[in-house]
Amino acid sequence: MIPVRYNYRNLVVRKTTTIAAAFGLALVVFVFAAAQMLGNGIKKTLGRSAAPENAIVMRRGSSSEMESGIEESQVNLILAQAAQIGASKKPPGVGEVLVVVLLEKVGTVGGVSNVTVRGVPEDVFAFRSSAKITEGRAAAPGTDEVVVGAGIRGRFKGLELGQSFEIKKNRPVKVVGVFADGGSSFESEVWCDLHTARTAFGREGYVSSVRVRLDAAGKFDAFKALIEQDRQLGLNVQREADYYAKQSEMTADFLTIMGTMIAVLFSIGAMIGATITMNAQVANRQREIGTLRALGFSRSSILTSFLLESTALAFLGGGVGAIASLGLQFVKITMLNAGTWSEIVFSFEPTPAILMRSVFLAGFMGVVGGFLPAIRAARVSPIEAMRA
Amino acid sequence: MSTETENEHEPLASDTQQVVVPEQYRKSAVPPAMKTIIELKGVTKTFVRGKEPLTVLDGLTLDVHEGAFEALMGPSGSGKSTLLNLIAGLDRPTSGSAKVAGNDLSTMSDGDLARFRSRHIGFIFQAYNLMPVLTALENVELPLLLTKLGSADRKKRAQTALRVVGLEDRMGHYPRQLSGGQEQRVAIARAIVNDPTIIVADEPTGDLDRKAADDILTLLTKLNQEFKKTILMVTHDPAAADRATATRHLNKGKLE
Repeated sequence: MIPVRYNYRNLVVRKTTTIAAAFGLALVVFVFAAAQMLGNGIKKTLGRSAAPENAIVMRRGSSSEMESGIEESQVNLILAQAAQIGASKKPPGVGEVLVVVLLEKVGTVGGVSNVTVRGVPEDVFAFRSSAKITEGRAAAPGTDEVVVGAGIRGRFKGLELGQSFEIKKNRPVKVVGVFADGGSSFESEVWCDLHTARTAFGREGYVSSVRVRLDAAGKFDAFKALIEQDRQLGLNVQREADYYAKQSEMTADFLTIMGTMIAVLFSIGAMIGATITMNAQVANRQREIGTLRALGFSRSSILTSFLLESTALAFLGGGVGAIASLGLQFVKITMLNAGTWSEIVFSFEPTPAILMRSVFLAGFMGVVGGFLPAIRAARVSPIEAMRA
Repeated sequence: MSTETENEHEPLASDTQQVVVPEQYRKSAVPPAMKTIIELKGVTKTFVRGKEPLTVLDGLTLDVHEGAFEALMGPSGSGKSTLLNLIAGLDRPTSGSAKVAGNDLSTMSDGDLARFRSRHIGFIFQAYNLMPVLTALENVELPLLLTKLGSADRKKRAQTALRVVGLEDRMGHYPRQLSGGQEQRVAIARAIVNDPTIIVADEPTGDLDRKAADDILTLLTKLNQEFKKTILMVTHDPAAADRATATRHLNKGKLE
């Protein structure tokens, strides 16, 4: 076996080419990891909005709260049936209205996007106990006061503490507080008074959805059966977790697939880069290879040695790319979520599996990129090599 | 163990310059009791360059006895290096038989030839051919990586070989930090570290000045006389050939 330090020192001695090739590989791994972290980030952000014992009731056939509408009269019925199954916490549920408003993004010229405005009842903070006012105060009920999520605050014009914006033409509301909810998608929303939202958007007598807090996650099936058996109600019951998984699925999959495709395209370039680098190494080291063969090292040990070198190069690049991608977790980005058609603020979320896949990709590129040069090296004839 | 080895080799290293080649070995036949270690019979080597077949070795027959130090001379293109490559197991004859150290090289596979080389042949090249990224000690240790020796034993043997060539104080140096003569001595240490049956040297002094060349030749003589190594050396240099116990002349693929 040719000693590993032979490969190591060759990589060190030829610093410039090593760094150039490793940089290409690092870039691919960075993009690959970033795409997956982004997909995971959106899933996690929406996933955090779900509580295991919570159910969401919507009009049958609606794929999101935005499309759903439930008559006010049904809300009490739903809550009563929840109480029958077991929903003893106060309040057992909330009926909310969900609308979107078009707002101008800060830092862009005329760039607008949808922001979710949730019309919430007075006791919403009691219902979502993880949500807390972090700055300012809660909105006074029955007024044109709103609170904004910590994620989206300041990212749109008017969405800063003390500022105001129009939820509808000539219908300004004032931001009096900022709330946080452990990085969930609620932090990308504006919460306003239920009544204000209804009147502004002509939704009097309706809510978009009813969230119900059951005593235990195990009571869900019974609750679902009870609500859905009454065909006349025309309602559908889902676990909050399932609902959010579905909401994030499209965007998360899009980001992951898109990013992975870009990474795969990049990887072809990086593999060609690795091949060129290793080919140059083989050409430069013809005489050394010939000598090693003369000393009695087999073709396979030459092959292994060069494969090892390209793989080490790839792991070096891959490691750098993976470590660099970890820095992205401190970056928050806003993006239009395809599930809700409104802006959602989320961050890159790494997992050990993503990092392992990225490093594995690096190794794969090293082996594939280094394979042809390694075969070439193994085929070097000692006589020809030393005559050169 | 270590001190024993040191005691054994230290005087050899220091008196490199004083080795005197005994008169009876000069240009003379080998002592009669020695066995034949290289046995070539009717060896022909033909290369195909383009469409023209080129016969480099033409029905060559050669016997070399164990313990000989033979020089191989001849004009460029006479087939010296090809002959050396055949004997060293780097190449196979087109026809004829080549028996070296009891192995019939003409029938061996590439893998078997590689094993044969690592066991029986020590190479010394004109351009030294050291690995530039490895230290002198690591270069010398290379052939031992093909043996079952443990790391400590390998190191000890590589150190001993470097001591034999008088470079015990240069073990940690990289080839670029050594002079040409020193590089060639590292190469010689690498050639002997495995205790090979035959040392083949292709123009070992070709890249060296007279003084360095003389040192290398003295070292080869020492290896031949004191360590009883069989040496086959291709050279253009009559002064080098002069140090061998016999000289053969090759011309147009035939021994004269």
